[in-house]
Amino acid sequence: MRAFLPLNFGTDTASWVAKGKIWNTPAGAKATRVFEIYRYDSESGRGPRLDVYHIDRGSCGPMVLDALIKIKNEIDPTLTFRRSCREGVCGSCSMSIGGRNWLACTQRIDDIEGSIRIFPLNHFPVKKDLVVDQRHVLAQHQIIQPWLKTAKPAPEGEWLQSPEDRVKLDGYYECILCFSCTGGCPSYWWNGDRYLGPAVLLQAYRWIVDSRDEATGQRLDTLEDPFRLYRCHTIMNCTKTCPKGLEPAKAIARIKAMLVARQH
Amino acid sequence: MTGTAAPTPRIPIAPHMQVYRPTLTMVMSIMHRLTGTALYAGTVVFVWWLVAVAAGRVAYETFLDVFGSVPGLVVLFGLTWAVLHHALGGIRHLIWDVGRAHTYPWREYLARANLIGSLTLSATLWVVFYPW
Repeated sequence: MRAFLPLNFGTDTASWVAKGKIWNTPAGAKATRVFEIYRYDSESGRGPRLDVYHIDRGSCGPMVLDALIKIKNEIDPTLTFRRSCREGVCGSCSMSIGGRNWLACTQRIDDIEGSIRIFPLNHFPVKKDLVVDQRHVLAQHQIIQPWLKTAKPAPEGEWLQSPEDRVKLDGYYECILCFSCTGGCPSYWWNGDRYLGPAVLLQAYRWIVDSRDEATGQRLDTLEDPFRLYRCHTIMNCTKTCPKGLEPAKAIARIKAMLVARQH
Repeated sequence: MTGTAAPTPRIPIAPHMQVYRPTLTMVMSIMHRLTGTALYAGTVVFVWWLVAVAAGRVAYETFLDVFGSVPGLVVLFGLTWAVLHHALGGIRHLIWDVGRAHTYPWREYLARANLIGSLTLSATLWVVFYPW
């Protein structure tokens, strides 16, 4: 099911997306795929637009990132996007692809039917084309102090952890901070100025459950706030859109449970 | 003073609700809110009924005339569904809040059970208790 609202919905006219350029079909292509890609250049003096590209699937790699690189190399060098590792570990190429957020490098072209619509991460301010401004969400990440905090004197070697305690980090330490979940969270769309969002809260949980960390109480104090934590209404978009298969909603549920448990 | 300040550029926000593919759990979240809101209006109906019972035969017959009519019955059935849907939604949220059923496909089953359960229960109650 596609989104049921028109593309230009709401009163924020600066964010409306105009029809863009339709780039020519490549000559001699056997199987073409249509890509509709969000374009915005602050220096053009114009608002965002949706350009249409036709890609020869026969001479393109399997992933959406391959198509983006092909467009940049062969059709339109001005197309701007972040990418680095091309194997799902750096988190740079997260974007809205076919109505959900995923890493362009791990999203197969053939798994999407029809024309493939690509937008920057939902509700992030746009810097250029598919590159978003992450300053706000990174500042929120700093609030939860994502590092080991200890009171005890540092040991001679490493801070040790039992295998049982290490297992508690599974499903949480793998987060690559691509912010697919945060971009897909309706609560973050409406209250992102104060709500920390699923990615940051999952990171918060990762440090709360770390047996080596000694600031658990302080961390929970930081989160005990109507907006920072409790704007999560378990909509589950975060868990569904995580390209690493993690469960931010579960991490948030666990934090809420810990806040209740410590009152008794 | 030299020159004029450039107008502050209005940075666009990437499209969100307009382009996000609706998910079942997302729609269920909206329905939980809608049924919750509908229950506020439903409370007025309930209070009307209580007052009508207390006020006597004439007032009660007026209530019966309004809610015995076809539009009235539709409202009452809608309220039955809203109560049950919201109640089952509350249980769904309790299950998620204790950390269960977050994985695929259980989260989808839970959302579907909420919807199918509320519709089935409402229909059953009316079939059983309404003097057809």
